[in-house]
Amino acid sequence: MFNKILIANRGEIAIRIMRACKELGIKTVAVYSEADANAQHVQLADEAVLLGDAAPKESYLNMDKLIDTAIKTQADAIHPGYGFLSENASFAATVESAGLTFIGPSADSIRAMGDKAESKILMKQSGVPTIPGFDLGIGFGQAPYGDDKTKAKRSELNAGLLTSVREIGYPVLIKASAGGGGKGMRVVNEESELSEAIESARSEALNSFGDERLLIEKYLADAHHIEFQVFGDKHGNIVHLFERECSVQRRHQKIIEETPSPLLIPELREQMGQAAVAAAKAVNYYNAGTIEFIFDPKTSQYYFLEMNTRLQVEHPITELTAGIDLVQWQIRIAAGEKFPFTQSDFHQHGHAIECRVYAEDPANGFLPSTGSLLQFIEPHGPGIRVDSGFSTSSEVNHFYDPLLAKLIVHAENRETAIQRMQTALSEFVVHGVVTNIDFMQAVMAHEDFANGKVSTRWVEHTLESGSLLPDVQQQAVELQRLIAAALADVVFVGSKSQPAVSNETDPFNPWKQTKSYRN
Amino acid sequence: MKINFDTQTLEINPSGDNYLAVMDGKRILVEIIRVDAAQGRMDLRFIELSESDSIRESVSKSVYVSSDMAKRWVTINGHTLMLTKTSGAKQGVRHDHAGGLIAPMPGQVRSVSVSVGDFVKKGQTLLTMEAMKMEIRIQALKDGKVKSVFAAQGQTVEREQILIEMEE
Repeated sequence: MFNKILIANRGEIAIRIMRACKELGIKTVAVYSEADANAQHVQLADEAVLLGDAAPKESYLNMDKLIDTAIKTQADAIHPGYGFLSENASFAATVESAGLTFIGPSADSIRAMGDKAESKILMKQSGVPTIPGFDLGIGFGQAPYGDDKTKAKRSELNAGLLTSVREIGYPVLIKASAGGGGKGMRVVNEESELSEAIESARSEALNSFGDERLLIEKYLADAHHIEFQVFGDKHGNIVHLFERECSVQRRHQKIIEETPSPLLIPELREQMGQAAVAAAKAVNYYNAGTIEFIFDPKTSQYYFLEMNTRLQVEHPITELTAGIDLVQWQIRIAAGEKFPFTQSDFHQHGHAIECRVYAEDPANGFLPSTGSLLQFIEPHGPGIRVDSGFSTSSEVNHFYDPLLAKLIVHAENRETAIQRMQTALSEFVVHGVVTNIDFMQAVMAHEDFANGKVSTRWVEHTLESGSLLPDVQQQAVELQRLIAAALADVVFVGSKSQPAVSNETDPFNPWKQTKSYRN
Repeated sequence: MKINFDTQTLEINPSGDNYLAVMDGKRILVEIIRVDAAQGRMDLRFIELSESDSIRESVSKSVYVSSDMAKRWVTINGHTLMLTKTSGAKQGVRHDHAGGLIAPMPGQVRSVSVSVGDFVKKGQTLLTMEAMKMEIRIQALKDGKVKSVFAAQGQTVEREQILIEMEE
């Protein structure tokens, strides 16, 4: 087993990993940037080393500094957490060649799954369903202008194209191969719209990415995101630890996850779990990983989307329902231990939900909100877990992900878990930055969520319809709020006989006129 | 006294051991049941009175309030909202804390050169802070006595946070 582990991350995940290390009797080294000098993860580690400037490339993304620090502090392994360098194959390779252990999969596994096109081919070969689609080469779908020879060739190509798209079946999605951020994306509902959509997607792709290559894929309008946790050791043992339903998303990022998925029947779960294990085996995977599937609730068809070759943000809901400490086992597996469990040892117990508490403003396009935390009170109670990296007076800066905490609940069934989450959310107090707590409360109370009818585009659509804006302007509460705000000035600072409240914007103002009271 | 938050005005005055709040013809008697200053928590009983002072409705609630200059963060029923205290009639006139004893930007306190009870002269440097690689001096705007020091060396402070309070 390791003596000391360097944690190449920050925030809640660094603290989560430290906790596992402590339980295993392993010493920890925290690394931090100048912006994080007062961060919790720095305070909780056995040793803390400053990497440099706040900019990630000078700190949490700086491979040389990280490996140097690990060697200097005599750490024997590096845990990358999630994000930052966790899915960087060359980092994993460099760590290993420096004589340290990378707590994660092999560099080869990361590399194989990192390339979207390559991994898709690999999955097809391994019998894992992938989304039907194909690359659109240069020339395809272009109007037949030019000389006669080119024209003829293009018409021929286009006839082939139409047949191929018909095979996929409409609607289809056209997207830029080099793409991202929705640029160059077009949904095509019928054949008559195809050529125009290709033309415009191509020019947008060229303008945005300098690369006109396109992909055509089957379009799933109400798709769900369902992923499977896999876990394996270096001795060839691999299991899946069931699914996580992660369809509540904004800007293609998850905000609420739960397990089990309200959509999966046992046969389907079994089938998808086996596909996930096959996918992992195809790249000789070990350690914790996640196979993401797109799930079509109409047909119950599922398609491989990608593999995340690291620990996921939402791992706690799997820990609670499958009854395993994933981070502890990541470390033990990395140290060479054999995973003593087999698939039949695992069962799902109860229901778990995670809400990601972000410093962001849902009313303002979910833009991050920064500042000092004036108050940060986490909820407590049976079945409530909070993984956080902040406390009262912590700074939320603009350099990193605005995740404040993960609020996780576990209960015997889904209905009880939702109620527990609603109570826990209402007891989570964050002042100083705007958070999405009220927004998640509105999602929890929505009938679509209760009915498991939330697809990955649901937040976007439902926000437009206005039914997700919390009713905080309720009149009785509004008056109570004003009273509370006014009273706070008296109760927390001044005294009843000499109230600090006056026509002054600031009761703490050192220059406030106290003379008036003397007269 | 009248208190203004954003566009709303509330009249609130002590009434025996309690407070009486009046807004838009509604009269609410507020009883302070319990206070936890560290958490910024107050357990309050809101008693709505009729014209004849009989109790129309009574409800107890835990509220959380934090202050950041003119801003008040209030959590009630699990919902958080930020209110801004305004000066009502003097709308538009910003109290820009002419004392200059507030942090003008987020940063770190580099040194504190005064203690509570010190007499200081106008222009004297009371505290230095560092923000975005700049040194900022917080100086006394007039002669006086230091009432409270809210910042310590090395402490990170946010914008508009009170650093030092002067007596009168």
